[in-house]
Amino acid sequence: MAFLSRALPLAALLGAGQGLAAQGVRASEYQVKAVFLFNFAQFVDWPAEAFPAADTPLVICVLGNDPFGDALDQTVRDERLGSRPFQVRRYQSVDEIKTCHILFINRSEGARPEAILAGLNQRAILTVSDADGFAQRGGMIRFVTDRNRIRLQLNLAATEAAHLTISSKLLRVAEIVRRTGS
Amino acid sequence: MARLLLGLVLVLLAEPAFAQQPDSAAQALKRLSIEQLMNLEVTSVSKRPERLAQTASAIQVITQEDIRSSGASSLPEALRLASNLQVAQLDSRQWAISARGFNSTSANKLLVLIDGRTVYTPLFSGVFWDVQQVTLADIDRIEVISGPGATLWGANAVNGVINVITKDAKDTPGVALSGGGGTELRGFGTARYGGQVGSAARYRIYATRFARDPSALPSGQDAVDDWHLGQGGFRADWDASTITHVTLQGDLYDGRIGQPSAGDITVSGGNVMAKWSRTISETSGLTAQLYYDRTNRDIPGTFGEDLDTYDVDLQHQTRLGARHDLVWGLGYRLINDRITNTPALAFLPAHVARQWFTGFVQDEIALVPDRLHLALGTKIEHNDYTGFEIQPSGRVNWTLSPAATLWAAVSRAVRTPSRVDRELYAPGQPPYFLAGGPGFHSEEELAYELGYRHQRGSFALSVATFYSRYHGLRSLEQVNPPAATPIVIANGQDGESYGAELTAAYVVTSRWRVRAGYTELRVHVWPNPGSTDTSRGLTESQAPDRQLFVHSSADLPAHLRLDVGLRAIGEIARAQVPSYEELNARLTWQPTAKLDLSIVGQNLLNPRHIEFGAPGATRREIERGVYGLVEWHF
Repeated sequence: MAFLSRALPLAALLGAGQGLAAQGVRASEYQVKAVFLFNFAQFVDWPAEAFPAADTPLVICVLGNDPFGDALDQTVRDERLGSRPFQVRRYQSVDEIKTCHILFINRSEGARPEAILAGLNQRAILTVSDADGFAQRGGMIRFVTDRNRIRLQLNLAATEAAHLTISSKLLRVAEIVRRTGS
Repeated sequence: MARLLLGLVLVLLAEPAFAQQPDSAAQALKRLSIEQLMNLEVTSVSKRPERLAQTASAIQVITQEDIRSSGASSLPEALRLASNLQVAQLDSRQWAISARGFNSTSANKLLVLIDGRTVYTPLFSGVFWDVQQVTLADIDRIEVISGPGATLWGANAVNGVINVITKDAKDTPGVALSGGGGTELRGFGTARYGGQVGSAARYRIYATRFARDPSALPSGQDAVDDWHLGQGGFRADWDASTITHVTLQGDLYDGRIGQPSAGDITVSGGNVMAKWSRTISETSGLTAQLYYDRTNRDIPGTFGEDLDTYDVDLQHQTRLGARHDLVWGLGYRLINDRITNTPALAFLPAHVARQWFTGFVQDEIALVPDRLHLALGTKIEHNDYTGFEIQPSGRVNWTLSPAATLWAAVSRAVRTPSRVDRELYAPGQPPYFLAGGPGFHSEEELAYELGYRHQRGSFALSVATFYSRYHGLRSLEQVNPPAATPIVIANGQDGESYGAELTAAYVVTSRWRVRAGYTELRVHVWPNPGSTDTSRGLTESQAPDRQLFVHSSADLPAHLRLDVGLRAIGEIARAQVPSYEELNARLTWQPTAKLDLSIVGQNLLNPRHIEFGAPGATRREIERGVYGLVEWHF
C-alpha cells in the first residue's frame, strides 16, 4: 500500500546499496552547505589587501540567525588554506561586520539583500545566501535546492565589482545569472 | 544552466572514502569534489541522503526542470517524459498509462501516488487521470519505477510505481501568477501565494482553473468532450523541532466534461493529509501519515460513484549492527464506495465498505560495504476479496566501479481483485450480458530484472532488462459456449513479457543538454486450457512494441531558451493504432528573472493523430495544439 515518499524516498525504499545510510553518514542540507562555504575559499582569489599577513585567518561569517548549528565550525576546525587558519564569526547586523571573507546571509535577510549589500559597499566579501533571487538582486552566490540537490547560481558582475576572482572550476559548475530589476 | 546533469536520472556518487568515515559527516563531505557535492541528495535534517544510482530497480526521475521545459500542461503530459512508461491520450481528458505493457484506460497494474496518497480507484484498480490536477510548477520531482514495487508499495504495484512529490512550502515563497491560452488548451490561470508563520512554519495556497477544447472524431467533427476544471489547495510545512517535521496539505476540485449523447459528466472531490516524521537517532527514524480522500463522479447514462478513502500508515527505519538497515511499516485503509447504477451497467452490491491491512519489512544487508548490497523483504497484505497476499522480493546491487553499477532483482507481485472484476454487471438488469466473476482471484506476477548504470563526466547511461511471467490474468469466459454471450469475468489467461528500457543523457555544452529514452517491449498472453477467451490478451494489454524519445534543451542568446521533444511510438495491437511520430516544442523568453513568456507547440507534426483505441467512428483523434503562457513571480 502507499507509503511515505517524504521520509524515505522511493529510491531508498526500493534499493539495495544505500552506502551512505548504511555507514550512518547523514548529510543534512546545511552540513553540505557548510562544506560548500569551506570549498569556496579554495575557488576564490581575494585582492591582496583582504589579507594583511600571510597567516591572517580566512573568516567565514554568518549574518542573521545561524542555520548551520555546529556544522560550519566542525567543517573548518583544524583546516588551513595555505598558512591561513579558518574562523567562523556570527553577526546580527551588517554594521557589525569587520573582517570577513565569505559572508553567508540567512534566508530571511537574504530575501531583501539590497540594504545589506549596500552596507558592504563592494568590499571584497564573497556574499552567499539561499534566499530566492539573491544572485539576481546583487548577491554573488545563491544555493538553489533543486530536486534535493544543491546547485549554485553565480552573479559574475557582483564578484567583479568586489574584485574577487572566481576559479574556472567554480564557474564551470555554477549557473551564471545576471542582475535584474535594477 | 550549468554543466550539471540537471535532467539526469542517475547520479553516481561512488566515492568509497566518503563512507569510510562514519564518525564525521563533515570530514567525509570535505573529500567530495564540488561536482560531487552538487550531485549529493540533501535532505532536511531528519532525512538521509540517497544515491539514485544505487537503487536496484528501473527508476527514472522527472525533475521540475524537465516538466517546465517540456511545456507539459497536465500530469499525464508530464509523464511522457519517462520513457519507461506507455502513455497514450484517448481524448481531451482520458489517458491510458502503464509500464511494461498491459495498458488500457483502466490499466490496473500501476500504482500512482501523489505525496504518498494513492490516487487509485478501487473500482478498477486504475486511475481517473482527469482529476489528478497537480499544479505542475509545485512538483519537486516525479519518480517513475517500472517493474514490481509491491514489496514496499503493495498490491497494484505490479508493473510500476509513479510517485509525484510536491515541493516543500519553503521552496514556494512569494506570489506566482501564470496564465495563457491557445487552440487546444483554451484558457488557464494559476495563482499561488507562499508565506511564513514564525520562523519554522511555511505555507502556500493556490487556485487554478482551465478549459480544454474537445478532441476530434475521424470525420473531423468535434467530439463534444470539452472540459473545465477548477481546483484550489494548500500545503503547510512546519519544522516543529530540529528532529520533527510536520506537513499538512489538501486540495478541492470541481469540473465538468461534455458528452455527445447525455448530460455533462461532473467530477468533484478533495483530500486532506497530515504527515509527521521524527528522527529518533543518527540511524533511526519514524514517520506517520494520515489522509482522507473523497471523489464524486457522475457520468449520466453510465454510472455515478461517491468514494471515501481513509488511510493511515506508519513506518520505522533503523540500523541493526554494522550491516543491517531495517525498514518496516504498517498500514490500514478503509474505502466506502457508493455506486449509482444505471440501465447500462450495475455494480452489485452498489454500496460496499472494504478494508486493507498491510505490513512490510525489508532488510538491506551490506555484504561488502559500499560494494555489494542485498535487500530482502516482503509485504503481507490482507484484503476483503482474497485474504492474505504475500509479495516478497530480493534485490542485489553491485557497485563495479565509481562509474558503474549492476543490479538484479526477483520479485513476486499480485494485482488483487477490484470491483470491476467481481461486482460489475451489464446491462443494469438481468438477463446479464456480462457478469463479474465471483471466484475472481488475484493476478500473479513473477518478475526477473537485470540492470546496469554508468555515468562518466557529462554522459550517463542506464539499461534495465526484464522478464515476467503472469498467472491468472483477467479473461472473459463464455458461460454457454459456443454462444458468444453471456460472458463472465475469470482468471483464464497466462502471459509473459520481456524487454529493455534504455536511457541516456549527455551534456553537450553548458548551454545544451540532450536526453534520450528507448523502450522495447513484448507481451504475450494466451488462454489456459479450458478458457474460452479468444482475445489473445488484446483486452488486457495494448502497448507499442517500441518507443523512442529525444529531448533537447538549449539556452540561446538574448534570454531565450528552446526545448524540443520528439517521440516516435510503435503501432499498437496489430496496427489497430498506427505508429506515429510527434514533436513538442517550447520557446521561452525571460526578459527579467521575474517574468517568463513562452509559446508551446504540442503534437506539431500532424494536424491530428491517434494514440489509442479500436478503430471506429467514435475513436477520438488528438489535434495539434499551440498555447501561449505568461508566468510572473515576485
